[in-house]
Amino acid sequence: MKLSSVEFYLDWPVSIQLKNLREFIIATLEKKGDVIRWSIIDIQNSINSCGMKKLKIRAVLAN
Amino acid sequence: MEISPTIFIVPTGIGCEIGGFAGDALPAAKLLASASGCLITHPNVMNGGNLSEKDKNIFYVEGYNLDRFAKGEIALKRVKQQKIGIIFDLGIENEILLRNLQVADACVSTLGINVHSYVVTKKPLNIIIDSDLSKMSGGIIENPDTLIDAGKCLIEQGVTAIAIVAKFPDDSDSLETNIYREGKGVDPISGLEAVISHLISKFLKVPCAHAPALYPIELNENLDPRAAAEEIGYTFLPSVLIGLSNAPDIVELPNINEHISLHPNQIESIVVPNGALGGEAVLAGIEKGLNIISVKNQNTLKVTNEFFDYPHLFEVSNYLEAAGIILAIKKGINLNSIKRPLKKIQKISYSDQ
Repeated sequence: MKLSSVEFYLDWPVSIQLKNLREFIIATLEKKGDVIRWSIIDIQNSINSCGMKKLKIRAVLAN
Repeated sequence: MEISPTIFIVPTGIGCEIGGFAGDALPAAKLLASASGCLITHPNVMNGGNLSEKDKNIFYVEGYNLDRFAKGEIALKRVKQQKIGIIFDLGIENEILLRNLQVADACVSTLGINVHSYVVTKKPLNIIIDSDLSKMSGGIIENPDTLIDAGKCLIEQGVTAIAIVAKFPDDSDSLETNIYREGKGVDPISGLEAVISHLISKFLKVPCAHAPALYPIELNENLDPRAAAEEIGYTFLPSVLIGLSNAPDIVELPNINEHISLHPNQIESIVVPNGALGGEAVLAGIEKGLNIISVKNQNTLKVTNEFFDYPHLFEVSNYLEAAGIILAIKKGINLNSIKRPLKKIQKISYSDQ
C-alpha cells in the first residue's frame, strides 16, 4: 500500500443537492484511490456558471 | 437521565484558536458534555500530551470512526476497560522508547489502566510532513503496511484498543514549530497524526489514538499556555492511554447481537468550528437534518454556511453559547422563545381540495 496526499478542485453542479454532496465527493475520490482522510478546504462561487460552486478538496489516499 | 447526544469536532491541523494546540478544547468538551449529557468527541480534543481527563458523559472515538459513526455505519458500546496494546515505530530511539515504556508502566501502576503489551514495527514508518499546502498540517507515511501488520499482531494477542507511537522528525528549531509554540500557527504534525490513527481505524476497526515520539525541546519563555501540556514531560503517551482506557467498542451496523450503548440515530447535534463545515461528519449530519452548531473559533478554513445555506445551522460566538443551545435542545425549548424580538405566530392559508 502506498499513501499519497492530493489537493484538487471539483465543480459542484447545481444539480447536486447539499444532502448528496458527500456522496458526490466520495464517488470522485474513490476513482483516485482508497480514501483515508478528506475534507473540503475551500469553496468559491464560480464566476462563469450560474449557481455552480468550486470546491477545493484535500485528501490522503491509499493505492 | 435526559440526554441530547452531541458530536463535538475540532478538526486536526487547521490551527483552531480553541483546540488547535495541546488538548486545549478539553474544557469546552467538558462543558458540552455536561450540557448534552452525552458527547462524542475525538482524541484531538481530549489529548493534552501528559494531561487528560475522563468524563462519564464523553465517548472517546478516533476521527475516522467518528466519521463512520456520523454516517450511521457503526454504533458505540460502553466498556469498563479496554485491553490496550502499543505500536512503537522502529524509527524511535532507544532512550525515547524507554521513556514511553515507563509511561505505560506508570499508567498500569498508578492509574490502574490495562496496558497489555507492545510491539515494534518491522520497518520504520518514515513520516513525511507536508505542512503548508493550504495552511493545514498533513503528510503521509512511507510504510503504512508495517503499521497495519503490527496492529494485527496485537489484536491476535487479544488486545482491544491500540495506541500508536510514531517517530516524527526532530525539527524543534523549525519556523512552524516555533510559531506553533507561541500560539500563532498550525500544529505542524497533527494532520499526519490523524492519518496514522485513521489507518488503524480503517483497517483494524478498533479504538485507537496516536502520540508522537519526539525529543524534549529547549525551554521557550514565550510558550503559549495552550501548548504547555505538551512540554511538561518526556512523552505524549499518558493522555492517549487515559483516553483509550475506556474508549467505547466499535459495533459494525447492522448488528442485532451486540449490546449497543449509543446508536448513530440518537445523535441530535454536531458542534464544529465556524469555517470547518467541509468535513465528512458534518456533511453526514446535514444529510440527516441534524442541528449543526457552528462556533466562532478562528482557523485557517472558510467553508461556511454562506455556501450551504443549511437551515438547521446555529452560528454562535463561543462554546458557552453552544452549551446553552444544546441545553435548550435537550429540554425541548423553542430557541425563538428565548430571543427578542419575538414574532407572532404566522397564519397559513390553504385552499379547498
